[in-house]
Amino acid sequence: MLEHILNLGAYLFCIGIFGLITSRNMVRALMCLELIFNAVNINLITFSNSFDTQETKGEIFVIFIIAIAAAEAAIGLAIVLAIYRNKNSTRIDKFNLLKW
Amino acid sequence: MNIIELSEPLHEIIFFLLEIGIILGSLGVVLLTNIVYSAFFLGLVFFCISLLYFTLNADFVAAAQILIYVGAVNVLIVFAVMLINKPHSSKIFPSWTIGDKITFLICLSLFSLLVIVILNTPWADITLITESKPFLEIHFTKNVQRIGYLLLTQFLLPFELLSLVLLVALIGAIVIARRENLIGTNKKKELQIEKNPTVF
Repeated sequence: MLEHILNLGAYLFCIGIFGLITSRNMVRALMCLELIFNAVNINLITFSNSFDTQETKGEIFVIFIIAIAAAEAAIGLAIVLAIYRNKNSTRIDKFNLLKW
Repeated sequence: MNIIELSEPLHEIIFFLLEIGIILGSLGVVLLTNIVYSAFFLGLVFFCISLLYFTLNADFVAAAQILIYVGAVNVLIVFAVMLINKPHSSKIFPSWTIGDKITFLICLSLFSLLVIVILNTPWADITLITESKPFLEIHFTKNVQRIGYLLLTQFLLPFELLSLVLLVALIGAIVIARRENLIGTNKKKELQIEKNPTVF
């Protein structure tokens, strides 16, 4: 059961990285980032359930990660909206705003 | 110990269904061309993961997952998609370039490496090591009580810093996403108001 869920987390992590690298759309890249966060959360919950049944500190870390991910999604989507207003596109390869 | 007492085969069946939901949902997020479908598949994946947390005895985190991810993050992403999205090609799956294939091979090798590592690790030995630890002084029967106790004693400083981070992120998102020419129009209006008495 433990290995099963860890394999599921590894699958979710790999498909998140694949989508993050190959996606042309900025919003889809943010979605894949959320998938990676969720893979990490699954691993933390599984370990805290299996090895740390007394304190379950893994769940507290998961709460922190969820809050950070929510903040990251808000900032990321705000940046996407701002760039879309300037460039009129959300394709990643059109974002050549940085000069250096 | 389980929150929901289930027989072993039923537990296996539920876990199998959740696994199918997560696998197909994440494939849909990555591979579909239409990004609105991707956003809804992302909601499906979040929901299945929160049900998975229920089967792993983490009821508070499961509720937080539903509230924050499905209720807030996914709704935010759907809003952003619907503000941005334009109708385009009717193909369901996009065509793959050479870079995509190379990335696929790299991710496949990474996944197989992770699976090999997971299957070769002796997890039973780690269980024996952790069993010998001293117990927590105060015993809490409920998961939520334990999390609340730890958040307000041992993890108090990160907890408060987290609230600060959320506040900064909120203000920063508003500042970034606000239209910049709003200030300009306000100034024009003020100028017009100032000009009006002179016309009088």
